Amino acid sequence: MTRSRIIAAALAVALTGLAGCSAGESVDVDGGSTAAGSAGGTLTAAIGGEPDQLDPHRTSAYYSFQVLENVYDTLVEPDADLKMGPALAAKWTTSSDQLTWTFTLREGVRFSDGSPLTAQDVVYSYQRIINEKLNAAYKFATVKTVTAPDPATVVITLTAPTPNLLANLGGFKGVAIVQRSNVESGAIKTRPVGSGPFTVASYTSGDTIKLTRNDAYWGPKPKLDGVTFTFVKDPTVALQNLRGGEVQWTDNLPPQQVPALKEDGAVTVATTPSTDYWYLALNEARKPYDDVNVRRAVAFALDREAITKAAKFGQATANQTAIPKGSSWYYDYTPYRHDPDQARQLLGQAGVTGRTLDLMVTSEYPETVTAAQVIAAQLKDVGITVKIRTLDFAQWLDEQGKGNFDAFLLGWLGNIDPDEFYYAQHRTGGTFNFHGYSNPAVDTLLDQARTQTDEGVRRQTYERAAKQIVDDASYIYLYNPDVVQGWSAKVTGYQVRTDRAIRFRDVTLNR
Amino acid sequence: MGRFVLRRLLQSVVVLLGVTLVVFLLLQLVPGDPVRVALGTRFDQQTYDALRERSGLDRPLVVQYLSYVGHALTGDLGVSFRSGQPVTTIVLERLPATLSLAVTAVLLALLVAFPLGVLSAVRSGSFVDHAARVFSQFGVSVPDFWTGIMGILLFAGVLGWLPPSGYVALTDDPAGWASHVALPATAVGLVTASILTRFIRSSVLEVLAEDYVRTAEAKGLRRRVVVVRHVLRNALIPVVTVVGVQLASLVGGVQLASLVGGVIVIEVLFAWPGIGRLTYDAVQARDYPVLQGAVLFVATLFLLTNLLVDVLYARLDPRIRLR
Repeated sequence: MTRSRIIAAALAVALTGLAGCSAGESVDVDGGSTAAGSAGGTLTAAIGGEPDQLDPHRTSAYYSFQVLENVYDTLVEPDADLKMGPALAAKWTTSSDQLTWTFTLREGVRFSDGSPLTAQDVVYSYQRIINEKLNAAYKFATVKTVTAPDPATVVITLTAPTPNLLANLGGFKGVAIVQRSNVESGAIKTRPVGSGPFTVASYTSGDTIKLTRNDAYWGPKPKLDGVTFTFVKDPTVALQNLRGGEVQWTDNLPPQQVPALKEDGAVTVATTPSTDYWYLALNEARKPYDDVNVRRAVAFALDREAITKAAKFGQATANQTAIPKGSSWYYDYTPYRHDPDQARQLLGQAGVTGRTLDLMVTSEYPETVTAAQVIAAQLKDVGITVKIRTLDFAQWLDEQGKGNFDAFLLGWLGNIDPDEFYYAQHRTGGTFNFHGYSNPAVDTLLDQARTQTDEGVRRQTYERAAKQIVDDASYIYLYNPDVVQGWSAKVTGYQVRTDRAIRFRDVTLNR
Repeated sequence: MGRFVLRRLLQSVVVLLGVTLVVFLLLQLVPGDPVRVALGTRFDQQTYDALRERSGLDRPLVVQYLSYVGHALTGDLGVSFRSGQPVTTIVLERLPATLSLAVTAVLLALLVAFPLGVLSAVRSGSFVDHAARVFSQFGVSVPDFWTGIMGILLFAGVLGWLPPSGYVALTDDPAGWASHVALPATAVGLVTASILTRFIRSSVLEVLAEDYVRTAEAKGLRRRVVVVRHVLRNALIPVVTVVGVQLASLVGGVQLASLVGGVIVIEVLFAWPGIGRLTYDAVQARDYPVLQGAVLFVATLFLLTNLLVDVLYARLDPRIRLR
């Protein structure tokens, strides 16, 4: 009776499965990750996706940097106001011609495996980025040599004065100091060895990355025993995890629920304005968008407040320039008010009627899809029919690279120094100047500011460039989003940062 | 039978070779440049060129394909563009999670579909039959991610009985695994149960109309004996195929017969570290080696499942001979 035996066996297994499922009632929803008996416990953080790899020099994914922020150190690092301060370098001096920078390393710094971190490691890390042409190579464009005259000293010589050198060397962990043997063994991709407050203990593909405290850390000893990162793509699910105590921290909250969450008080939700900006770019290689009046017409036709409200549910501030109020490079300039009449008049002067505009957005950033719908309605009001094209990011980047668009929406994230956000986007031939903007006056200003060592003069130069960029509507800046992060009532000592760097080194988990 | 299995396995190699070619060509047609995705938005041209060269994407397509197949034949499926890890390792790491989810879902589905399908056929036109038909209509109409979200909101949110997402390995902690698998397996299993209910119902109905069933009844056997001994035995043969295909397609996350959604969406929703989510991430990043590896793997699984089903057939039905 083979057949009946098969069926019976199948049923038996099925019943076992069901029995197993009902055992789920005994789930510990009270933060099952807190290790009893130890000092600090382990904090579980839910991030929106999985890092591609953990080699800081080879990844470009924000998810990777969320983890690596806690694992690696840079020579210098931004403080809460994004001013560059000491990290691995305790101090530094600059030669009078601004072409030689000498960094003195902190004493007694060790990698998490106990081996000392010396000036040679700094030289190795930078040369790796430069020679292998890794992602951050462009940040070393003016670097001529990096040498280590003694184990505690790093000397960098430059081909031109580089006032933003510190931002380039410490703005993010993509320029972290790595360990040569860790790189050469290939282990850096999944088990990186850094000198930061935590170290990677395990990486389960698709599931979790577990960090444990680095007891050799040079700074104040972290209070947590460890941090576990889980990857939860759906914000509703991430929120349920936070509410249920499965995780104690997340930055993946459903934007429409944030106001209610703030009032509710069951979890802490904190926001701070970020230095990110989101913008609309019109393709100046295509008619009629080569005409500044057409671009200005679009700028006048937009109601930024409405766009911001729809895209971010109030967790953003409308802006007409790149950087938000309160940031050190803020430039107060608002030439465009929401004025459809003005827009129609400008379009009339340019001879544009009954135009269809192809607006490219990406599902990778759902806020661009929402913003596009509002923009479409507003432009319809001035006689421009918007056709929204929603693509996945890979295809979006492809189309952008080929120039196949009338307009696109995107954000530029984690901004610290203006060179980083003006040069690539608005300099003629800049690496991210896909919309074909070219103004010789702006080029000159951006070139000058790049090497201008007088801070006051540099600021004025950037303000003149910013004004021209806004007047030319090279980018039509829309808003600066808030950084929104939530954590459980047990978490203390966490600070939301404007550059979205996530640092758990000062965090305490109360029982 | 040994020769039959051997011949089928040899045929499979040819099929798999065809699969690699089709997948390779399809990937070339999909827009999106893996190098640009990997680099994000801030990089210069030298960096782009260097990565393209390192990834081997600057070589002619024929060379890329032949080198891929050459390595694949020796069991080397290449390394992921994104993580630099060997594809074989990545896929095998993700297998237990997907298998345990798919098997649980199918078992749950069988548990519901078997009694429901049989009852609804035997008592055709009764209340049970109507209820079963409404159930299966509901199950195939409602997308699994919706039932998934509703399950999370109710059982994890309101009631707090189950964790909203995540994965625990069965071998590490069976109870933890069960509590984590319950919601996703139910969401997937509901769809599978609906399909199976319909299938079992029609299969049983068909057999009920056979002459030998009438004969069995005419010679005075009780209804129960007729159903259990004569009807089910025959009605369940095609069901084996469907169960096998369902299982394989769940693991592969393939849209089979346009009814099964696979577990891709559910794995993404529940943060389940399986093949489905791997595939999803690989598509987003245009990680060709991982995509090729995952598809090749799923194709192999399909071929093996089909072979297994055929062998099972011969065991279940003495009329079938394997040649």
